[in-house]
Amino acid sequence: MPLLELINVKKDYMKGETVIPALRGVDLLIEKGDFLSIVGPSGSGKSTLLNIIGCIDTPTEGSVLYDGTDLSELNDKEKTRYRKENISFIFQSFNLIPVLTARENVELPLIIEKKFNKEEIHDKVSNIIEIVGLEDMADRFPRELSGGQEQRVAIARALVKNPLVVLADEPTANLDSEMSEDIISVMQKMNEEIHTTFIFSTHDPLVQKHAERVIILRDGLIASDERKNHGHAD
Amino acid sequence: MGTLIKIAWRNVRRHKRRTFLSALVIAVGLAMFILMNSIMTGMDRANIDNLVELSTSSIRISTKEYAEDIESLPLKYGLQNVQELTMFIQQQEYVAGATPRTQFLGQLSNWEETMPVIGQVVDAKTDVIVFALMNYLEGNYFSDEGENEIILGKGLAEQMGVQTGDYITLYALTRYESRNADEFHIVGLLNTTDPNINLNTILITYETADSFLDLEGLVTELYVAMERRVSYNLFVKDVQQLQTKLQSRFPELQIDSFLKIASGFLKLTEQKKAFGMIFMLIILAIAAVGIFNSVLMSVYERIREIGVLRAQGMKRGEIITLFLWEGGFIGILGSILGLIIGCGANIYFVLVGIPLDKFSGLETSGLPFLGRMYGEWNIGAIIFVFLFGIIVAVAASYLPSRMASKMEVTKAIRYV
Repeated sequence: MPLLELINVKKDYMKGETVIPALRGVDLLIEKGDFLSIVGPSGSGKSTLLNIIGCIDTPTEGSVLYDGTDLSELNDKEKTRYRKENISFIFQSFNLIPVLTARENVELPLIIEKKFNKEEIHDKVSNIIEIVGLEDMADRFPRELSGGQEQRVAIARALVKNPLVVLADEPTANLDSEMSEDIISVMQKMNEEIHTTFIFSTHDPLVQKHAERVIILRDGLIASDERKNHGHAD
Repeated sequence: MGTLIKIAWRNVRRHKRRTFLSALVIAVGLAMFILMNSIMTGMDRANIDNLVELSTSSIRISTKEYAEDIESLPLKYGLQNVQELTMFIQQQEYVAGATPRTQFLGQLSNWEETMPVIGQVVDAKTDVIVFALMNYLEGNYFSDEGENEIILGKGLAEQMGVQTGDYITLYALTRYESRNADEFHIVGLLNTTDPNINLNTILITYETADSFLDLEGLVTELYVAMERRVSYNLFVKDVQQLQTKLQSRFPELQIDSFLKIASGFLKLTEQKKAFGMIFMLIILAIAAVGIFNSVLMSVYERIREIGVLRAQGMKRGEIITLFLWEGGFIGILGSILGLIIGCGANIYFVLVGIPLDKFSGLETSGLPFLGRMYGEWNIGAIIFVFLFGIIVAVAASYLPSRMASKMEVTKAIRYV
């Protein structure tokens, strides 16, 4: 059974009285441990697709099955739990909590999850902060960090709880190529070792280069779906 | 919970100006409440002090028969054991003094017109210990050897067209119900804050009344003054304790405290307090609108943040809690600031007081428009309003918090 199954997913937005279709009927199977990149021009529906998979948006038509469960049938509480237990987001604009330090921002998902004690949280956070190279910046507030450093905090925040699925919207947009390589290799390691599923929405050729599967979206439809090592997925 | 509190507190600190202004709205409401409550309590206390010092004293003792027929002020139910009573009372704690009085009905005449009056036969020496009439006396008090001396309410004297030094005729029924009349020398006039005394009352001494009313030492009432306590509640406790003691020692007598004698007046005071409380609640409701706006602004400023927290799996309830904490912190800050401002200003009212001389000459109904009126500390009200300020702030935060929790995550994250 695929981890995620999108069946004829459509999403329309209203602008005044005009209907703007963002997704026009997407069918997609995502396996556990996929390391896939969704590419396409602006407005092609990449972010909308990520939001629907992440259960922070709902499709106008069609269904999304996660491990066989139809997400559209979940109530608000169940959606919240689904996100808490399975999903991590990396937002393009970082979206760090301004009144929390870098370390506290990274701690936040673990605190929300309420599964770990203080020591475990400390160890996990220290480890991921070291991986993203922010040991010296851990006690700084977001306003005291550069764009690249903020992005690394956002990545650490997403990875710290070892989620099953990471949804990353332009995760390397503010990083130099060296840091991008480092971060991608961390993600690849997680992907290989604990089979974390990574779904990127990106324009970055570096991410596309490392992705095992590349989906091209055009005008709200899948134009191509290529699995690099194993040939075409469909 | 710790993280929610941390985020809430840091947000409160981060937006210092907004926090200060919101807290100030609560603080002003609280400070006004504390001051108004102090002044109103002080005014009530001054009224009660006035009543006790001029009319009722702390405790009134009479025979049960006299108490039943008190409206007609009969001269036939005298206390039998005045000396024993007085000695017993003076041995008790917090007693300032006791004095006998015998009231009678009479008529005052200046040969042109006649006015009904309430006569008070007083013991010239002890009356001044129990009643504060000397503070309001114009002219002289009773002299040691003087006979047929009389003190009149000033309003009464004005109506009769007489003044200190003049003579006036008093008619009354004696103890044996025969009519008697005599001329009295006006030695002083009472210009008190009690219109009953000013307009209806005359005072004569027992020495004079013995011959004028054939009293033969008849005492119908014994008045007891307790020492004034700063705390009204302690004063009431003292009075009630003495009343209980007297009642068990002299069960055949009627022992009434000022609480019963002036029950109508005290009830009115309570009603006035309730009205004042409603007024204060309105002030705090206005403060609540300020908090509502502040938290609403905070919600709008942090829509993206809310979206991120929700995307990470934070529950709606936790988002609400976060903003309620924020409102609570503003409430605590506002309440503390309100206490500092309110109590600070109240120190002035309690120690220095408000000069009331400028109001003198106005028609009053027992309010002492002489000297100064002082504020009173009302610890219960201060604690109440402190907690109320916080509760109002939290309650006012609820609606915007709920709104924040209901935002669509995608819209919130994209919000600019």
